[in-house]
Amino acid sequence: MKKEWQKPELEVLDV
Amino acid sequence: MITNGMVSMNDYVVQVKGNIVSDMGGEKVMLSIQNGKYYNLGEMGGIIWDLVEVPISIGQLITTLMTEYDVEQSECQRQVVSFLGHLLEEGLVHLGADVHRE
Repeated sequence: MKKEWQKPELEVLDV
Repeated sequence: MITNGMVSMNDYVVQVKGNIVSDMGGEKVMLSIQNGKYYNLGEMGGIIWDLVEVPISIGQLITTLMTEYDVEQSECQRQVVSFLGHLLEEGLVHLGADVHRE
């Protein structure tokens, strides 16, 4: 059974 | 931002080396030595990051993801190419037809 897909996103952290 | 029309499925992508990467609660967090910024790649972004540790074609990357995840090809392709575009903008990956020859 295939895993659930999630949209890949790049978050730039405020540090 | 790069889009599907700007890249070929035969283009290769690979990590830029030298970043500090850590897993935090299933998500991948990274410090770029080049620009001093911190990034959260999330869970799926972390999986893609691991897959581009060595040069891989975008087509092969998408095929690999579709084998494991329940996603349509068009959606997978659009979202992965967009994500790779963000990595490229931040200088975190190399992308191009010649990448695998380096």
